[in-house]
Amino acid sequence: MEDRNMRLITAYFDKTINDDGLAELKEWLESSPDNQDIFSDTIKILSASKTYFAAPDQQANNWARIQAHIAATQGAAVQGEGNSDSTAEPQSKLKTEATAAHKLTAPVHAKRAQLKNWFAAAAVVLITSVSGLIGYPYFASKPVPVKEYAQFSNPNGSHSVITLPDSSIIHLGAGSSIRYEKSFTAAKREVYLEGEAFFDVKHQTKRPFIVNSGKIATVVLGTSFNVKAFRAKHRVAVTVKTGKVGIVSSLHGKSALISYLLPDQQLEINTKTGLVNSGKANAAAVSGWTENNFVYYNTSLKDIAESLERHYAVSFVFEEAETARIKLTAKFNNLPLSEATGNLAQLSGLYFSRNGNTITVSAHQQKRRKGMK
Amino acid sequence: MYTDNTDEALVARLKRNEPVALEILFNRHYKPLCHYCALFTKDFAVAEEIVADLFIKVWDNRHSSDILNVKGYLFLSVRNLSLNYLRKKKNLVDSMEDVTISQQQLQDLNTPFSVLSGRESDQRILQMIDRLPARQREVLLMSRIDAVDKHTIAQVLGISIRTVETTLYQALQQLRRQLKIS
Repeated sequence: MEDRNMRLITAYFDKTINDDGLAELKEWLESSPDNQDIFSDTIKILSASKTYFAAPDQQANNWARIQAHIAATQGAAVQGEGNSDSTAEPQSKLKTEATAAHKLTAPVHAKRAQLKNWFAAAAVVLITSVSGLIGYPYFASKPVPVKEYAQFSNPNGSHSVITLPDSSIIHLGAGSSIRYEKSFTAAKREVYLEGEAFFDVKHQTKRPFIVNSGKIATVVLGTSFNVKAFRAKHRVAVTVKTGKVGIVSSLHGKSALISYLLPDQQLEINTKTGLVNSGKANAAAVSGWTENNFVYYNTSLKDIAESLERHYAVSFVFEEAETARIKLTAKFNNLPLSEATGNLAQLSGLYFSRNGNTITVSAHQQKRRKGMK
Repeated sequence: MYTDNTDEALVARLKRNEPVALEILFNRHYKPLCHYCALFTKDFAVAEEIVADLFIKVWDNRHSSDILNVKGYLFLSVRNLSLNYLRKKKNLVDSMEDVTISQQQLQDLNTPFSVLSGRESDQRILQMIDRLPARQREVLLMSRIDAVDKHTIAQVLGISIRTVETTLYQALQQLRRQLKIS
């Protein structure tokens, strides 16, 4: 049913689609590559038709013109009705005074009445310019076109897949959020990331895709790559899976290209010191979290715990601070948390005990500690 | 002040000679009305003038007219005023069209290169849109105006919501086919 699909696509583009619709759309998209072409063409048409409209730039002038007209006619209304509702507006009081002054000499001749209107209009124009000077908000209310943003956030313990209007795909990690301009039609495809996400960007030569994470921007045309940027860690790590990625930093007030990355290269930036560390990395392992596969190479227990905290929505407590510095290499392929901690316990020789959502790590067995108390 | 009033409450305030009510209505609807008007005039400056004139008319007629559905009334009036305008100037060629659109596209782009290449396909699609049957073109573009929903379109054009939808989807399918061929 073609109408049905068009309805889903427009609802998707307008961000009015509901969960059922989204599921249906996804199913339809996956059922044939032709459908994906229909989808991307229709999105193209919709976003092109949006560019038909220019922003009006005469709003303030036109309102001033209407204002002058109101003032000019209100003089007549005051005479006709005896008394107009005088509002609390200071300048409308002024207006009434201005027109009242003319009322004293108000003639009956049509010609002079016109003249009077002209005077009233002139008086208002004067008031307008004066209140412009003192910045009276009544006249300063020209609305700036507001950009609407779409935002997605994941709590700890869950990640999600987001399809952007340009049909790029974002795997948004646990405890992470992403924001982008709703229409997504600007010359640059910009998203703002806090946390970790894996991007599979649809290639569009003329529209660079930019991931902003704090002061580090990752610029690509069409590739897949992982960005990890938790603000509290003061570290941004970018790992490239396919294609070529440019990293731009604006750390010291000016933006500069730090480097280009190729597949399986990783760049880590300390956003506090500006130090850059680049090297090789297994991109499949880094982005493995999108399929619940976690790989840690020579990683401190503290970092492993933080990663598990986000993905499993638990929290780790280290009884002895120094145990957090133990470095481990481990691989968890879609394991339940209990097995993961079990493996860690075997590798590190530490004891992991779970109480609700808290996992305590200690060098001694918990039971003995309780006994000691 | 009053900014959270409904359109209808504001019209009631107009009857009590409160210019501030007109200002709120003006700020609320100015931009979408201008966009709608520009669909016909293809000249944004003219569109803004027509919309401003409409608000003057709303003020002047505040005591004599009873507006039940403000938004629908405003859009329908803009439509009529636009068509009147076109009838009057029908001898003139609409040469503004390409100028306005390309100027607008120059504004938000950074490099001449991206101007030349990036929006080329948008430009082509816009030209195809302008060649659509009038009703399809109007429904498609109208549905792209912020703050305009299917109900408003149905009301202004005097058709059912179902017809709005079919017309919109027809327009999209038509454009998609053309996009494939070209």
